[in-house]
Amino acid sequence: MNKQIISFPVPKTGKISLVVAPKTVIHSLMSMLAVLALRGRVIVVDGGNCFDAYSLARALRRRTHQIQPALKAVQLSRAFTCYQMVAMLSELPVDGTPVIVLDLLSTFLDENVNFSKRQRLLESSLNLLRQISEGAPVAAWARAHPAAEGEYQQLLMPLLETAHDIWELQAPEIPDHQLPLF
Amino acid sequence: MPEFTGWLLDLFDDPREGLVLYFIDEKGAHHRLTRPFPVTFYALGSDAQLRALWRQLSNRPDEITLCRTHRMDVFKRQDVTVLGVTVKNPYQAGKIFHETAAQFPELEYADADLNISLRFAAETGAFPLCRCQVWSDEVGQLTHIKVLEDAWLLKATPIPLRTMSLAPDVAPHHAKPRYLIVEVAGEEYHLDLHTWRPLLINLRALIQRHDPDLLLTDWGDTWLLPKLMAQSEKYHIPLGLNREIGRGVSWHEERTYFSYGQIIFRGQQIHLFGRCHIDRQNAVLWNDYELDGTIEVSRVTALPLQTAARVSPGTGISSIEMLTALREGILVPWQKQQAEMLKPAADLFTADQGGLVYQPKIGVHKNVAEIDFVSLYPAIMVYFNISPETILPDPNGENLVPALGLAIDNSQDGLIPKALRPLLEKRIEMKKHLASTPNWDPFRKNFKRRASALKWLLVTCFGYLGYKNARFGRIEAHQAVTAYGREALLRAKEAAEDMGFEVIQLYVDGLWVHHPQKTRPEDIQPLLLEIQERTGLPISLDGIYRWVVFVGSRQNKKRAVANRYFGVFQDGSIKVRGIDTRRHDSTPFVSEAQMHLLELLASKDQPEDALPEAVDYLRARLRALRSGHVSLPDLLVRQRLGRKLEAYRTPSPAARAVMQLQAAGKEMRPGQRVPFIYTLGKPGVFAWDRPQAPNPHAVDVARYQRLLLRAAGIVLESWGMDEEKLTERVLSDASQLRLPVPPKQHPRKHRSNIPGVVHPAMDRALKGQIH
Amino acid sequence: MGRTLPSATQLMLQEEASLARFRRALRRGDQLVFDDLFTSAQKHISAAAYAAHALPFETFLMAMLLEEHKELMRLREIVERLREMHA
Repeated sequence: MNKQIISFPVPKTGKISLVVAPKTVIHSLMSMLAVLALRGRVIVVDGGNCFDAYSLARALRRRTHQIQPALKAVQLSRAFTCYQMVAMLSELPVDGTPVIVLDLLSTFLDENVNFSKRQRLLESSLNLLRQISEGAPVAAWARAHPAAEGEYQQLLMPLLETAHDIWELQAPEIPDHQLPLF
Repeated sequence: MPEFTGWLLDLFDDPREGLVLYFIDEKGAHHRLTRPFPVTFYALGSDAQLRALWRQLSNRPDEITLCRTHRMDVFKRQDVTVLGVTVKNPYQAGKIFHETAAQFPELEYADADLNISLRFAAETGAFPLCRCQVWSDEVGQLTHIKVLEDAWLLKATPIPLRTMSLAPDVAPHHAKPRYLIVEVAGEEYHLDLHTWRPLLINLRALIQRHDPDLLLTDWGDTWLLPKLMAQSEKYHIPLGLNREIGRGVSWHEERTYFSYGQIIFRGQQIHLFGRCHIDRQNAVLWNDYELDGTIEVSRVTALPLQTAARVSPGTGISSIEMLTALREGILVPWQKQQAEMLKPAADLFTADQGGLVYQPKIGVHKNVAEIDFVSLYPAIMVYFNISPETILPDPNGENLVPALGLAIDNSQDGLIPKALRPLLEKRIEMKKHLASTPNWDPFRKNFKRRASALKWLLVTCFGYLGYKNARFGRIEAHQAVTAYGREALLRAKEAAEDMGFEVIQLYVDGLWVHHPQKTRPEDIQPLLLEIQERTGLPISLDGIYRWVVFVGSRQNKKRAVANRYFGVFQDGSIKVRGIDTRRHDSTPFVSEAQMHLLELLASKDQPEDALPEAVDYLRARLRALRSGHVSLPDLLVRQRLGRKLEAYRTPSPAARAVMQLQAAGKEMRPGQRVPFIYTLGKPGVFAWDRPQAPNPHAVDVARYQRLLLRAAGIVLESWGMDEEKLTERVLSDASQLRLPVPPKQHPRKHRSNIPGVVHPAMDRALKGQIH
Repeated sequence: MGRTLPSATQLMLQEEASLARFRRALRRGDQLVFDDLFTSAQKHISAAAYAAHALPFETFLMAMLLEEHKELMRLREIVERLREMHA
């Protein structure tokens, strides 16, 4: 599998690092997660049902023969609705454990919940992340949408305002299956 | 104190009376009674928030009463402080709740949007269509109700329902109907749809004279009733569709949704008051279990008949769970907040799996016993007490779930096991009863339909546990069920191998085993007992195949797929999965021929002996096809429109058919099935519901020939005649001029009797694919 | 709540795809052998799924090896029988 891995710097306490990037960034995030997991416990909140455990295992394997302890050090919880996302963040232990949120906006794009309610729940989530970041490193990934529409933009804005470091990545041009000879 | 014995037909809230109930007594007469029926919803939050809500609501004392109390929060596993908001008239409750929720969005709510029928059942025990004894006072208020037959009774007293059926002579989306067929009290009337005034007058007279309890229609939701109501208004001839005076009919919007990875379309609905309306074309699984099954669903879910006919089994299960919660005083959350527990990523590999599915050995297997766990997943939930509140994160506790690092608290019965136990037990009882009921028994059909309704509910209850919006769903509970399922199947495999059987196939809840000497049902009994002993779960012998054939995948013949097979049991019955005969999108021409070939194979001691006859039969069918003797409806393909038309880059045949319909002004939604015929030239299809009639000479004969020979090849390949050889043999006859010989027996009537026929969606549900 | 991780079947397809460049550069005859290896591993996909190994390719290799050894034993038996016939 020909996946380009970007080395993100590991997040630091007191800051919220934000990555805005397409789905393929998951492998780079798993690589960063591997670095953190080799140091100790890490909490991952998955908002997009996208936690790639196999990619994490491969990233760990590149660094160590003993991948099991690191796989156990990663504590995972998946949120499938925006209500669960808020509940999840409010229940996280506050003990300095780094927190990584995957596909943060996904559950807030669910049209079955009315928009103002979602905005309010996102606001609560961001407040919780701010509180957590005071005592622990926090990194979040928001999936970039190719055709960013109104609702998505309105949800992304408060997130951009909350973050201290922002990495924005474009989707790479997809090369043709076979490269031209000439 | 007037008193009668009868059945609860319908109930609904009313702006003046609170609750209105319609009963039918034993003579078939109906009674309308009323009752005040205050309903309560709960708010949860901080003391300050609840105080603010109290202040806000306390200025409406004539509508609302408030109380501070404690209720059980099943996810927190403890009583929590709540503010109970009791609305005196249930008709106002929805409006007041939504105003409150909009004003206090930060609060959590419970018991907020429950069907009034569930509330009534929780309070009185009486559910729709239950047989009961009823007392009332002189002003028609219900004073007391006593249930005589509960929902779990195997044989309920038949209800003297007066039914009227209304159907246009032809499907309205296909052609313009000419008359309306009315069937009532054993008589049939044809009312001309071109002359509305006499139609309305006659229909009104029939409704008045017979006063039906149930209107069974075809396309009543989407075409007939809207049409009748519009004309009734135009001509000022009220029809009296409702029994309840002063209420209009209730419209429910159409919707499209995903279920088990499939897109489903459900048309708009029209509900009546005091009389039930079911549109057979829009009812859920009507072809599967008809009115008997629908009544069964209504009874066990406590949903009104009109609702029960139109909701998915998932909603049915949800109702059963909510009813149990209401009875137990457990809060029914409005929006589930519960998130997944934090767990090591290392556990995900084991947890995030479905059922155990083997890749069978491709080809023929003789003397194979098929053994199935009875309702495996529900049985696991009930017998191992799996429920959102019984799953604990303690990996050192007792009752560990196999390999998941979760423990189960067995100190008390969980909510889900409590809700499912009677359903599961009834299903098992029914299965036993069915096995001992002879074919001629008049109750058998009724039993089969009801059993099918229960099966659907049970099949769904597992997926529902994992559904993100399920009120009592929980991902860990869902994972625990599949983990136990895999464990049970592996223990069964080990038991079989220990006893000298060869395991041919494992599939989620069943195993196929072979032993050269153990070929009679009584030889299998010891294995069944051993498996039951090792797993603690009920198991039964589905049957012993004389032979069964597992076929390879469509893409790669060498690669086995788990659920594509056909076989013949020792009693001669045929079981088929995953091939054309079973596929909803294959044409009757192809699937009937395939079934006929299977019957030919089944009729011989040596299936190979059927080959000459099979070739003759195929030749005859092809001659019939070429000479136009196959009727066009038999060539119809029914494919589902998978997405919106704009979303197709290269439109599928179904999408091309929809384009034709669109050009003719007919709209189709994703999830609807589109019937069409393959035709010559471009666009290669002819949509059946176009206004024009298709040209029989335009049928793409070569394409149907290919489809037929491919389907035949799948069935005959294992007996030495694959598609290629078959094509050669069958077509070598093309020059011969013989009169077409029609098959002796048209195979269609066998189709509905194939044992073990399971809907593909049920299959997916079994495999553990979830919405 | 759909699954988060790919199924064993998907994993095998991914592993096969990740070797696409390797396969492309093989001789045609070797390519067919390559495909055969994956087809034989596919017979044990449910065992691989149940094993739930974090590095599934190791399990797939084991499955290929298992089928190879089965074939070896079968051939050995044939050789033995032939030898007995000619003895």
